[in-house]
Formats: sequence, C-alpha cells, structure tokens
Amino acid sequence: MIHITINGKVVQAKDGEMLLTVIRREQIDIPTLCHHEAVEPSGACRLCMVEITKPSWDGWCDYVTSCLYPAEDGLIVNTHAPKVNELRSSILDMFLARHPKSPEIRQLAAEYGVMKTQFEEVVDGDNCILCGICTRICDTMGFKAISMVGRGHGKEVAPPLNMAPAACVGCLSCAKNCPTNYIEYNMKNGGLTIWKKDFEMIACTECGATTITKEFAEYLSVNRDIPFDYFEKCDACHRKELAGTMGRIANWDREARS
Amino acid sequence: MNKRFIVKPELCTGCRSCELACSFTHAIDGVRSLTRINPIDGGFKDLWVPVTCLQCDDAACIKSCLVNALKRNPVTGAVELNHEVCVNCMACVAACPFGCAILDTQTNLIVKCDLCGGDPACAHFCPTKALVWELIKKAVKKTG
Ligand code: SF4
Ligand code: SF4
Ligand code: SF4
Ligand code: SF4
Ligand code: FES
Repeated sequence: MIHITINGKVVQAKDGEMLLTVIRREQIDIPTLCHHEAVEPSGACRLCMVEITKPSWDGWCDYVTSCLYPAEDGLIVNTHAPKVNELRSSILDMFLARHPKSPEIRQLAAEYGVMKTQFEEVVDGDNCILCGICTRICDTMGFKAISMVGRGHGKEVAPPLNMAPAACVGCLSCAKNCPTNYIEYNMKNGGLTIWKKDFEMIACTECGATTITKEFAEYLSVNRDIPFDYFEKCDACHRKELAGTMGRIANWDREARS
Repeated sequence: MNKRFIVKPELCTGCRSCELACSFTHAIDGVRSLTRINPIDGGFKDLWVPVTCLQCDDAACIKSCLVNALKRNPVTGAVELNHEVCVNCMACVAACPFGCAILDTQTNLIVKCDLCGGDPACAHFCPTKALVWELIKKAVKKTG
C-alpha cells in the first residue's frame, strides 16, 4: 500500500494502480468518455485529466490522463484545479463541435459551462465519438466481432466488410456501454437484431420470459462448461423451483417431527 | 471465515423483513436497491422459503462472466459482483440455476447476494431466526 493525496485528503492506493481507479473509489466525480473498468485504458478522450505534483517538484505541476497514470507514493492530485477545468471545457467544446446532436455530449459539455461550441459544427456527423469502448469490450469478451475501420473522417466502428458479423453472439455489451447510445438494436417477438444480425432469444420454458440469445447461451455452455439446460428457465422461475425443492424438504422434516 | 449462512424455511413466516433489510443495506445514493433475498411460497401450508444465493462452490455465475466482474471473496466465501467491471451482458442472470443473480430494473445494475461483506443484514432482522449467520461448530478435542 502507498499513500497519495487527492483534493487535500490522504488516501490509500495500490502501487501502480491507475489514478482514475483510486479517484473513482473515493467517489470523486470526474468525467470520462473512453473508460470502462472491464477493459484496458486507451487514453482517447483526455477528459480524465488531473493536476499532479510532488513536494520535491518545487511548485511545478503536471497535467496527466488519470486513466493511464499509475499511482506513486506521495503524489498530490487535484481533480478540479482551475487549469484542469479549463482543459476539460475546451476538450468538451471540441466534442460538441463534432457531435452537436448527441444529448449525452451536450449534457456533459453543459456541466462544464459549454452551452454552444466556439468551433464550426460538423453537420453531417453521427454520435459515435470513436472512444472504442464497444470494440475493446467485445475483444475482451473474446468475440472480436466489431472493430474500428477506416481513417480520418471516414473512421467508424463496424463489423468486417460491414456485414452481419459471424462472431457476434448478440450479448449487447457494446450497445449497453456506449457512452452516447449510438449502437442501435431491436428486440421484438422473441428476437434480437444488432449489427444487421438476427438472433433468437431463449424463452423460459415456464413463463416465456427472455434473458439472452440462444447463440450466447450456446457459446457459454460450450466454452464455459455450463449445462445448457441452466439457460432454459428465467431467473424468477428458477427461484420458484428452488423454493419448491427446499419447501418439499422442509415439509418432510416438519411432518417427521409432528 | 468460520461462519456460514443458514436458511431454515420451517421458521420463516414470510414477513419479508429480510427483503427490507437487504434493500436498504444495498442502497446506492439513497435509492433502495432490489432485494437479493425473497421469501417464496414453499408449496405447502404456512411454508415459506427465503430464497437467496447459495454461494456455490463451482459457481455458474463466475464461469459465465467473460470480464471477471464476479469473484469469490476469500474471507467471506461470497461471490461478489463488481459493478464498475460488469458490462451488463446478462450471462450470469441467465446462467445461475437458482435465479439468484438478478437485474435491478430501477438502477439497471445486476445484483446478487454478497453476504453484506461478512455481516448479513437479513439475518440480523429476521425475527424468527429463519436466517442465521452462525459459527461453524468444530469438534473440540477434550484434553486431560
Ligand atoms: S459506437 Fe459508442 S462505444 Fe463504440 S466507439 Fe462509438 S461512441 Fe464509442
Ligand atoms: S453484441 Fe456482438 S458486437 Fe456487441 S459486444 Fe456482443 S458479441 Fe460483440
Ligand atoms: S448467483 Fe447463482 S450460481 Fe452464483 S453462487 Fe449464487 S446461487 Fe450459485
Ligand atoms: S452481467 Fe455483469 S457480472 Fe453478469 S456475467 Fe455479464 S459482465 Fe459478468
Ligand atoms: S478516460 Fe478517456 S482518456 Fe482517460
């Protein structure tokens, strides 16, 4: 264990753990648009910027992306120094120019006082901020169904050849963790469509409720050694089943004793 | 930890004190969480079964989590879910054979029993002691 100071408070941290992880653990709110604890940090959005210094630095400070900066003993961190807030506003100003229609970006920018961008708005753009959270999560889960393709202004997230990706199991993790809710999917009539691929949802054999796709369950069953029949009932019907089993045992017990 | 969580359905009256205790204990920013324990009709007269996670040895939920958001706490033996890591894929909800990993639709978080980090609130509040967190009795060798 080492000690660092965040906004005047001394806190414990593990040596080498990223500053952002410590800051979040302390429940200090700093904005991020490319961070997720399930995946390796990428440093793409730069919003997690903080001011750091050390007593030995003679009053000098540095500005670093906290998601990529390992904690070291004696570090003094300021998450909302005036210069940090200024940097964040100008980053958000640029995000707003590129994605003026995104409600999530507009809200975050407004929190930092940017109501309207000073730059020229991109009119034909979309709401994908190219943070790569979706592709990194999909890679980490082992599917690698989507990736960042193209360069410069044409850069986008897409499955190979822009066709329904064979590797996708329809787990929806990409869509649910996209900071701007850009990834569309459709769930209806026991089916799911994402990345132009159609899936069948497993319907509970008791009540018909759906939880995950058949393809995802098959993947988990084969690769994670989970009996497929576990997936055939929904959680509520499983709880009822357990209550029934334990109820029968408790009732035998009760009758035996009376 | 030489303690274990014991459920005695024959003592449960279905009063749901455990649900309240659970939901308040796991509140986030003052918002009550979905309870991780439910007294469910056991199928016989006056028989309720408090259903909650069994903290399985070979836990299907841990196996189903492809991002390692679910880990066993070596001290309490409970399987704990890290919300910062969870990507909401619903695999554990679908995989648990007892339905004890659940989606809290109000917060959109997946929740499961974590034995409150080693001091289960439900056991404290159960008025009939249908839920107990008790010391595992070891055979003590008498000396002399
Ligand atoms: S689709 Fe969403 S998660 Fe993926 S890169 Fe774009 S903004 Fe990020
Ligand atoms: S839904 Fe498909 S593309 Fe998205 S994370 Fe899951 S497997 Fe990957
Ligand atoms: S959530 Fe389900 S699979 Fe996981 S330990 Fe609890 S009872 Fe077992
Ligand atoms: S919902 Fe969260 S905890 Fe459950 S398997 Fe998916 S990532 Fe893991
Ligand atoms: S969180 Fe985006 S750069 Fe650190």
